[in-house]
Amino acid sequence: MDIFSDLRRLNKRQVYFQVLNFAMIISSALMIWKGLMVTTGSESPIVVVLSGSMEPAFYRGDLLFLTNYRADPVRAGEIVVFKIEGREIPIVHRVIKLHEKADGKVKFLTKGDNNEVDDRGLYKPGQLWVERDHVVGRARGFVPYVGIVTILMNDYPKLKYAVLGLLGLFVLIHRE
Amino acid sequence: MEEDKPIKIDKWDQNAARIALDDAAKKAILELDYVENFHLIDTRLVICTTAVLVALVALLWDFLYPFPESRPVLILCVVSYFLLMGLLTLYANFCEKNIFLVAHQKDPVGTEPDIVWTLASTMIRFDKNYTLTVTVKDNSEQRTASFTKCVGEVFDENGVLLFEKFQPMVMGLHNSIVSGKKAQ
Repeated sequence: MDIFSDLRRLNKRQVYFQVLNFAMIISSALMIWKGLMVTTGSESPIVVVLSGSMEPAFYRGDLLFLTNYRADPVRAGEIVVFKIEGREIPIVHRVIKLHEKADGKVKFLTKGDNNEVDDRGLYKPGQLWVERDHVVGRARGFVPYVGIVTILMNDYPKLKYAVLGLLGLFVLIHRE
Repeated sequence: MEEDKPIKIDKWDQNAARIALDDAAKKAILELDYVENFHLIDTRLVICTTAVLVALVALLWDFLYPFPESRPVLILCVVSYFLLMGLLTLYANFCEKNIFLVAHQKDPVGTEPDIVWTLASTMIRFDKNYTLTVTVKDNSEQRTASFTKCVGEVFDENGVLLFEKFQPMVMGLHNSIVSGKKAQ
């Protein structure tokens, strides 16, 4: 096949260059992600809405942009993304009740707009309030539908490997 | 070592055509027993490798000391990475400039410094013309010559590069600026 004859003509330096090219694309994506983490202050600056618990504000598959500035106080009515201890997946819900101490320590209660009850059932056993440290960030902007790709890739891991594998192969083989 | 099978490409792929012609011109010049100088390519490889290492450091550091403790290191890495990318772009535009071969013509006696030959090529997008530029630097003198050919003149209908046709073109270009000091 023509592709392989093209590859066989490569010397050691050019092979290394192809591999480097591939590594640079991954590095660029990584650096953009870390850059976003640093500028927004959030450990996960872009999240996908996974459930319909915030309809009609957010639907499953929406992409959210978060910021997590310590200087901005959390207020009731705001949509926050937080993590429960022991659970990997962050939850995107609204703050409905908030207690604040003079020293700035807050405790708040959350509830999904589309849920019947507040989130106490989701919290860790014994936990009644969410604290500032659990918060990953506050929703500042969103793009609808785009996150469906991420959901599909998580539901069908084979699809994820296939897509990434093909992209990787294409980059490795294509010269310049 | 060298593959003697003729190069065959997808005849509609402009990028493959340019690369095939570059490879053939390189082969033609190196057949004159000139020594290839990898300095230009190596510099690019070093810049890219450094960038990838910076990214790896960021990845590892963030993994060992999760955000937000890793913030200062991450800022350093991200800034360094984009500075390196900028450096790479500047390097490509001002130093590399479409050059794909730097070769040294060694003096057979060994007394005089090497004569440096440089090959560069350009091909405008969607244009069937390939332009090859040869530059020779002989002590302090520098001479340049170039030609522009339509790819149809050197490739047949199946996409096979006709080296017998292309090589004389390259040699002609080479000979037009070769140093007059050597015995004719």
